[in-house]
Amino acid sequence: MFQILIALADGDKHGYAILKEVARRTDNKVRLSAGTLYGNLARLESSGLIAESPRRPEFALDDERRRYYRLTEFGRQVAVAEAQRMEEALLQARATKLLRKPKLAL
Amino acid sequence: MAHHDESLSQKFFRALLRLLPFDFRANYQGEMEGLFHQQHRDVEKEGSLLAAFRLWKETILGIFTTAPRAHWEILKSDVFYAVRMMRKNLAFTFLAVLTLALGIGVNSAIFSVVHSVLLRPLPYPDGQQLIFLRQQETRLGITDLGFSVKEIRDFRDQNHSLSGLVEYHTMSFILYGHGDPDRVRTGVVSWNYFDLFGVKPLLGRDFTSEDEKPGAPAVLLLSFEYWKNNFASDPQIVGKTFEMNDKIHTVIGVLPPVPQYPNYNDVYMPTSACPFRSSPMHTESRTMRMMELFGRLKPGVSPAQARAEFSTIAANLERTYPKDYPVNVGYAATAAPLQYELTREARPVLLLLLSAAGFVLLIACANVANLILSRMARRERELALRTALGAGRSRLLRQLLTESFLLAFLSGVLGLLLAFDSLNLLTDFMARLTPRAREIHIDAGVLLFTLAAALGTSIIFGTLSALFSRANLASSLKEGTPGAGTGFRQNRLRDALIVCQVAFSFMLLIGAGLTVRSLIKLQSVDPGFKPEHALALRTTFSFSKYTNSDQSRVMVKKLLDRVEAVPGVLSATVSNRFPFEPEMIAAGPESVSFSFQVEGRQLEPGQAPPVSTFSAVSPGYFRTLGIPLREGRFFTETDDEKGPIVAIVNEAMQRQLWPNENPIGKRISADGGQHWGQIVGVVGDVREFGLDHAPVPELYVPQAINPAAGAVVVRTTADPGGLSRAVTAAIHEVDPQAAVTHTLTLDQARSESIASPRLTTSLLGIFAGLALLIAAAGIGGIMALMVSQRVREIGIRIALGAQRWKIVYMVLRRGLLLTGLGLTIGVAGAVALAGLLKSLLFEVPPTDALTFTGVALLLLAATALACYLPARRAAAVDPNIALRAE
Repeated sequence: MFQILIALADGDKHGYAILKEVARRTDNKVRLSAGTLYGNLARLESSGLIAESPRRPEFALDDERRRYYRLTEFGRQVAVAEAQRMEEALLQARATKLLRKPKLAL
Repeated sequence: MAHHDESLSQKFFRALLRLLPFDFRANYQGEMEGLFHQQHRDVEKEGSLLAAFRLWKETILGIFTTAPRAHWEILKSDVFYAVRMMRKNLAFTFLAVLTLALGIGVNSAIFSVVHSVLLRPLPYPDGQQLIFLRQQETRLGITDLGFSVKEIRDFRDQNHSLSGLVEYHTMSFILYGHGDPDRVRTGVVSWNYFDLFGVKPLLGRDFTSEDEKPGAPAVLLLSFEYWKNNFASDPQIVGKTFEMNDKIHTVIGVLPPVPQYPNYNDVYMPTSACPFRSSPMHTESRTMRMMELFGRLKPGVSPAQARAEFSTIAANLERTYPKDYPVNVGYAATAAPLQYELTREARPVLLLLLSAAGFVLLIACANVANLILSRMARRERELALRTALGAGRSRLLRQLLTESFLLAFLSGVLGLLLAFDSLNLLTDFMARLTPRAREIHIDAGVLLFTLAAALGTSIIFGTLSALFSRANLASSLKEGTPGAGTGFRQNRLRDALIVCQVAFSFMLLIGAGLTVRSLIKLQSVDPGFKPEHALALRTTFSFSKYTNSDQSRVMVKKLLDRVEAVPGVLSATVSNRFPFEPEMIAAGPESVSFSFQVEGRQLEPGQAPPVSTFSAVSPGYFRTLGIPLREGRFFTETDDEKGPIVAIVNEAMQRQLWPNENPIGKRISADGGQHWGQIVGVVGDVREFGLDHAPVPELYVPQAINPAAGAVVVRTTADPGGLSRAVTAAIHEVDPQAAVTHTLTLDQARSESIASPRLTTSLLGIFAGLALLIAAAGIGGIMALMVSQRVREIGIRIALGAQRWKIVYMVLRRGLLLTGLGLTIGVAGAVALAGLLKSLLFEVPPTDALTFTGVALLLLAATALACYLPARRAAAVDPNIALRAE
């Protein structure tokens, strides 16, 4: 779900694009299928994190079956909050030497 | 080719999507198909079989993980919506839940009894192999003779179908060495009795064959209940000794808490320890029958095969011992599965109650369906709107099903509470009919039944309401009529439901009415004696103390003198039993019957000898009980074994044997002519085996000739119950070791004797009352709905000058028409089901015209009353308001 929010962070996308973006970002580790993608979209939509986007791409590229989704303001807040929570968790893990700091490339 | 392939995979994908709920598909199906199409194209481009495989795997898995979640979400929102609707219509919800809860509760309760008593296997390992054996004299109407010691040996030696055959009889003995002398119910059993049933002792050991050998040290097994209640579950009980029948008995073990069949006993002893069973009188005679026999079938042997074999054995016995098995009595041996035997009496009552409960549920269902339909009429606009907004039919059906399931679930829970509540009452009731009553409880099977009942009813309502909302949806939006639901089909259905309710209520009311009539008839039967102001005390004297009749006669004389001296006692008598004695009613007259011959009469070939019951009574018996003398004289103090044997018979015997003669002076013999008794008196008939039991021929002999006191009966000036303590004290003054149990007034005994029909009647009455209430409320509700739907029409009629009574008549006519139709069907149904009740009715035919008329009038009156309220409202319609309301 978080991955979907990230995928929508830099612009409105339709389902196929989200699926591709998530796969690209995670190096094919997170692979969504039609069922899981739309199951998640449905839940994000009903809890108001995302919404159908009124914007359509140029007519030639548009597929009438496609709908575009955008991150709502609330969705953005939730995504940011989740990212911060994860960052904090990461910092704590490093502080206890559970994780080592990645070496900086010189 | 490629295109064909693609469409095939698309088709398959579309089929997969059907797993998702309707709403989800409505929203995303197009997009998902597009997405899958694209993914499929990507894979094709890649051309790798592995990628294609992975796509399919992920897609299928994805749908299967998403679908349950999506369904759950919808269920949640539907439930939420349903709860909101229910809260908005509290009156409806309350009425529907209550009606259904009553219906479901009644069924769960009765079903828990049916389940425990009739359906569940006996609580013994391989209980279906256990059988109960009977010897009968069919020509004399004796269905259970019992077995004698010699017969037991014959059956044990000659059968090949049983892996074990054990005997049982029960006696009352007095146990000393533990506080007051304690009268204990003692089961006298074969050494392998518990082994045959598969019961292992909780403490100590079971009997062994050594214990049963004559002269073996006397041993006892305690029942779990006796051990718990009288010895506070003492873990050190094994090895303790008690005195009983002048012998020291050692406790060797305690039984686990198993249901005890056929009777409850406090302690058990092996057969050799019973002073009666081992007396020469019993061991030498073939006809001293007092034992019951239980067998375990060998694996693979059917009860029918065993029965056939027992018939053969019986035929052998008849041939070998013609003197002991007279040809005319119809001697036979048979067997029945123990489970059947133990539930024989309860079965018809239970089936009746189960069908009555089923009727109540049907009526409740019909009523709730009607409630829902009339509510649907009000909700039609809402549903039509939702349809217009794109909710599919299946979506609506789903929503309605969720609502009705929620309703039924609530009712089920409430019903179960009701069932729990009524279970004690039912258990007490069933205990009169079957020893399995103590097994009654609510278990998983009952819960499952309740769940199934709730589910079944909810599916019926949900579908019904969806079906009929659909029929009207289209029209209702178009017409825009407020409060639609006047659709022809829907009204027809409602009317049909009303007719059903009336019909089923009628059948239930007939059942209740007939049993009430039967009970009234029973209660007004003249028992043949005066039960008022009489007290009976079942008394057991130590058998070993009174060894000859002189001793016992002296004791009885002293006892009666002492008891009659108690203030408030008018007279006292001793006999071996008393009228309406609960145990005698259970056992029936055949348990004390014998066959005899009349002097100077030869039996025709093939003619059965006369049979009579037998009691030994002290001279005051007839006067104390108020039994009238018809001919001759009562017994006197001088009628004892020193004089000639005298006997008194009842009128039933006179009618049978001497219809046109005076029996005084006639002589009869019960031992083939060795001893003759002369009849000195004829007394009135006493229905001592139950009010519903026609008087049988009875024979009385003086107690002094056959000293076997079992009961002391006293007639009192005032309330007999208050004297039981004083009389008991008087008995103990004469014999401190006598055990007095079972003190009850004869009024109580009489009331007790009809407790079972009374309870059946009350239960049926409750069911029928519920049904009547539900049906009347249903009709009233429907009429009210009709009135509110037709307010405009009524207003116009009134405005046009219709008289008010005509309006009332219009509403009443419709209600009564439906009732009449229901009554017609109900009469047909009641006549068809008459057989079910027949065995439970006393002197009332199951198609009793008076009951049918009375019940029909009652139903008509109730529905007329229910219709009158809406009719009056209709008549009070103000045409101005009604017309303006548009």
